[in-house]
Amino acid sequence: MTAFFALLRRDLVVAGRNGLMLLMATLTQPVLVVLVFGNILPRLHLVADEFRTVMVPGLMSITMLMAGVQGVLMPLTIDLSGSREVDERLLAPISVLGVALEKVVAGAIHAAVAGLIALPAMMLLMHRVTGVSVRPAWGALLPLVAASGLLSAAFGLTLGTRVQPRYSGLLFAVVLGPLMLFGCAYYPWASLRVLGPLQYVFLLNPLVFMSEAMRFSVTPDVPHMPAPLLLGGLAAFSLVFLLSGARAFERRTVL
Amino acid sequence: MASVLIIEDLKKTYPGTRRTPPVEAVKGISFTVEAGETFGLLGPNGAGKSTTLGCITSLVRPTSGTIVVDGVDARREPLRVKRLIAVVPQTRNLDRDLTVRELLVYHGRYFGLPAAEREARADRLLQEMQLADKAQAKPLTLSGGLQQRAMIARALMHDPRVLLLDEPTTGLDPQARRALWDTLRGLQQRGLTIILTTHYMEEADRLCGRLAIIDHGTILTIDSPAALKRSLPGGHILDVWVRSGTPVGPRLERLPGVLRLENVARTGEEDGLERLRLFVDPGDGLLDRVLRAVREGGGDLHHVSLTQPSLEDVYIHLTGKELRE
Repeated sequence: MTAFFALLRRDLVVAGRNGLMLLMATLTQPVLVVLVFGNILPRLHLVADEFRTVMVPGLMSITMLMAGVQGVLMPLTIDLSGSREVDERLLAPISVLGVALEKVVAGAIHAAVAGLIALPAMMLLMHRVTGVSVRPAWGALLPLVAASGLLSAAFGLTLGTRVQPRYSGLLFAVVLGPLMLFGCAYYPWASLRVLGPLQYVFLLNPLVFMSEAMRFSVTPDVPHMPAPLLLGGLAAFSLVFLLSGARAFERRTVL
Repeated sequence: MASVLIIEDLKKTYPGTRRTPPVEAVKGISFTVEAGETFGLLGPNGAGKSTTLGCITSLVRPTSGTIVVDGVDARREPLRVKRLIAVVPQTRNLDRDLTVRELLVYHGRYFGLPAAEREARADRLLQEMQLADKAQAKPLTLSGGLQQRAMIARALMHDPRVLLLDEPTTGLDPQARRALWDTLRGLQQRGLTIILTTHYMEEADRLCGRLAIIDHGTILTIDSPAALKRSLPGGHILDVWVRSGTPVGPRLERLPGVLRLENVARTGEEDGLERLRLFVDPGDGLLDRVLRAVREGGGDLHHVSLTQPSLEDVYIHLTGKELRE
C-alpha cells in the first residue's frame, strides 16, 4: 500500500503544479456554454428559460467525463507508446493491478475536483438569473461526484489501453463527441419518454448515468432517473471499464 | 560465495498475432551470478538479452523456467524480488514532471523509505553521480550521459542487491560512455552485483568478470573475457588478404602451425581481395610458409595482420558471423 499512496501523492502533486492549466481546461467549456445558453440565447428567445436549470448538471457531468478520461488517457498514451515512464511504477513494489488502480484513483480525484469547481462557477454566473433552480443536496452530491469521477477515469483507462495512440485524436470526435450529445446532458432522460422504446437505447451511454446522478443531486426539481437505476448504471459501467481497462493494461505492460 | 541470481532453463515465447508467428526469444538458458560479480550478456540485437533481463524484473512473463533472486522465486514472489533488484532500462524513462532530486526522493517513497533516509540518500547519490548541480533540473534538459547517471542514481535509491542495466551506453558519445564505465567500476568496487546487457565488445571486455555470449535465444558460452579469448585455437589470429585466381584456403589450412581456417562472412571480397582468417600457433617461419603457399597457388599476398584475439573474434568464431549492430 505504501507504493500505491506514494504514486498517488506524486500524481496529485504534479497535477497541483499544473493547477492553473487544469483549471482553465476545466472551466472553459462550462463557463462559455453557460454564457451562450444561459444568457444570450434565452434573451433572444431561442431557448426556453428552463434550459438554464437543465443544463447545469449536464455540464458538470461533461466536465467530469472530460477531466477523468483525459487525466488517465493522455499520460497513459504517452507512457505506453514510447516514454515507458510507467516501467518505473511497474518496478516499484506494487502489483500491475495496483499501478492501474492508482491511475484510476488519481483520474477520479481529478474528475471530481473538476466537477466541484465547475458547479459553483456556473452557479456564480447565473446567480442573478431568475427562474434558475440549482439547489445542490451536498450529502447526495459528494458521493455521486466521486462515483462519476471513478466511472470517467475507468473509462479513460479502457480507452487509453485499448485504443491505439494514433487513433486517440479520432477518439474525441468519434467517441466522446457523440457520447456527450446523447449523454442526457442537455435534456433529462425522463423526458425522452417521447421517443418510445428508443429511450432505453440511451442507457448504453455511461454519461447518461452521470448526468442523471448530477441532476438527482443538483437540480432535484427537474425530473430525473430513479436512484436505483442511476446507481446501478454508475456501478455497472465503472466495473466493466475497470475490469476491461485493467486487463488491457496488464497485457500492454507485462509482455 | 552465494549465488545472487540463479536462472534455470528459462524459456520465453512471445505469442504471435493473426499476422505474425510466435517468436521464441529465449530458448532455455541457464546461468548463475555470484554476489559481487559483474556479469554480462553479450549478443546482437534480438538475441534475447533484454527478454532475459525482463524475465528477472517480472516485466516479461517467462513461458517456463526458474528465476531465483537472492533466494526468492521471482515468478512466485515478484513483489519481494522488486525490492531486491534495481533496473536501468534501455529507454530513458525518467519522470519528466519531477526534478532530478525529486525523482530520487519519490523513488524512495515508492519503496517506503523513511523521510530522513530518502532525503539523505538522495543528496548522497546526487553527489556520487556528480549530479548535485543538476538537482533542480528537469531530466529532459539533461544530456544523454547525465540522464543515464540519473537513472543509475534512481536505481540505487532503494539499496538493491542486484543492479540490472540494459544496454547502458547505447546512444552515448565516447566520453559519456567512458564516464559511465568509471561510475560502474566504482559500484563494482563497493561490491554491488551487476548484470548488464551489451552489444559492445569493449564494454563487455572492460567491465564484466564473466560473460555469456548469447545469440538466437541460447547461450553459446559462459566464461571470463580472458578465458574466452584463450579458448580460441592457437591463441593468435592471422588475417591474410590475397589476390588469387584459385582459392588458396585449402593450401593454407594444411600448413603446420595453422589450426583452423575461417572465411569471414561479409568481408569475403574487396577489390578482388580475398580475406582469410587463420587461427595460428605462431612459431618459426609461419609467415614464410604462408607466403610460399599463396605463391605456389598462383596467388599474390596483399597484406597480413597478426593479432591477439578480441572478444569480437571469439564471437565470430562461435557464431560464424560478425556482430550485427
